[in-house]
Amino acid sequence: MTRALTVLTAAAMLLPVPAFAAGTTSYGAAQLNYKVLPSVHAQVVPNYASSFGPQGGLGSGSTPAAGSGAVLDGGTVDFGNVVVGYQYLYKYAAQVSVQTNDNAGFVVYAEGATNLNGSNPVPTPSTFPIFQTLYWLVSNTGNTPFTPAQSFLLTAGNPIAGGAGGIDYSGVGGKPSAGSVVWSYPTSGNVSEGFDYQLRLPGMLPTSQFNVYVVYTVIGN
Amino acid sequence: MRRSNIAALVALAVLAVLAVFSQADALQSVRATKYVTITILVTPSPAPMGFLPNRTRHPAPLPATDVAFAGLLDDPYSGPRQIASASQSAWDVAPGGGAMIAQVQPTPVPVQFVAKADPNAQYLQVTLNTSQLNAPYGTSVYTCAFQIYTFYGLASYALNDYGYGTTNSGTGTFPIENYPTTSYLSWSVPDFSSTYTAYWNSGSPGEKVWTGTENQAQTHCVNLSLVVPNVLAPGTYTATIQYNLLVN
Repeated sequence: MTRALTVLTAAAMLLPVPAFAAGTTSYGAAQLNYKVLPSVHAQVVPNYASSFGPQGGLGSGSTPAAGSGAVLDGGTVDFGNVVVGYQYLYKYAAQVSVQTNDNAGFVVYAEGATNLNGSNPVPTPSTFPIFQTLYWLVSNTGNTPFTPAQSFLLTAGNPIAGGAGGIDYSGVGGKPSAGSVVWSYPTSGNVSEGFDYQLRLPGMLPTSQFNVYVVYTVIGN
Repeated sequence: MRRSNIAALVALAVLAVLAVFSQADALQSVRATKYVTITILVTPSPAPMGFLPNRTRHPAPLPATDVAFAGLLDDPYSGPRQIASASQSAWDVAPGGGAMIAQVQPTPVPVQFVAKADPNAQYLQVTLNTSQLNAPYGTSVYTCAFQIYTFYGLASYALNDYGYGTTNSGTGTFPIENYPTTSYLSWSVPDFSSTYTAYWNSGSPGEKVWTGTENQAQTHCVNLSLVVPNVLAPGTYTATIQYNLLVN
């Protein structure tokens, strides 16, 4: 629950008022109270640094390269071709920028709008769990495909347009689950945080093209 | 004297040549490699327990200003409405009728990959039964944490393992650490033995897990045993084990 940021300002106003009696002037004081509502603005930029893209696949016999959907400062976090049973790191996958006047700060959540949707060819079943397949970690030059990371969770909310339009949390308490927090910031400001993604592909993953939307939600404290 | 020296040198040379051939015979090449990555979630230690006298303690009363402030924190719009004008309109009406949540959802991030078949799957496969170990402090055992399948059709083979990234003179992190520190994570293959062995953490060539004959396909469970020391901070850790299928 967000508390409104309340600013109490005392302003003395000395205003001439119509004279009630001829030849007299009355003066009064008024206390002006007003509330500045918290505002939160946020942007997410995929592939936010020039050296973005996948690495890893150690032991698979192939070197990963970003797919055609990945472009600098936009597009898709496109791992390209990856081999079942191996681990990958996608550098500079997404950068979240937040601007808020909320002195109590904010929390950023990130969830999979759906599980991994398979296509081309459509596997059976057509989806594969995002949990413990796609992971996130804060960007760091020392990250590897084996650096400790947190798994993305499947949302309990209602994906809009398959996730392309975000997630509707109105039926699940209005916000994402507590386990999907990726970033907490304790005060107001204009700040950014970058994230790498990891793929840990289990051996039972079917061969197919998989897609998913990761939805970030920023909530003021 | 000189003859005996020559004889010794010749014997030494013969031994060296024999050693080279012997070593060549033992050499095995890595046919396939897999990395098993396990997330370990160390949960906080229970709070220390003790016995205290049963005293009823009353908190000191808050000053009146603190009470009023605490009330405002609970409900910023409580208290009597104040009138600022002769028209009797309230000035402190909560916008929207209640406390507002500042929430925003930027454009979602599309993620995509094309999963290709594993060319090494015919030789070496790992199936994780649990990729996250929930670990309290102390020792925990995880039965059949993962299974490994091995096969080779052209010669006998061996399966080796060691902690990924470890060396014979490096430093490591929990749980596998690095030699000379003993790994906190141990393994056993119950099909062969119930004895747990701390993971090898001084790099290649590692330790033998099992061997197989030509055309022998086999799948075995790997049990894990993890010790979480009391001094370890709660959090998420990762163990990565490298498995190599060596063939002649």
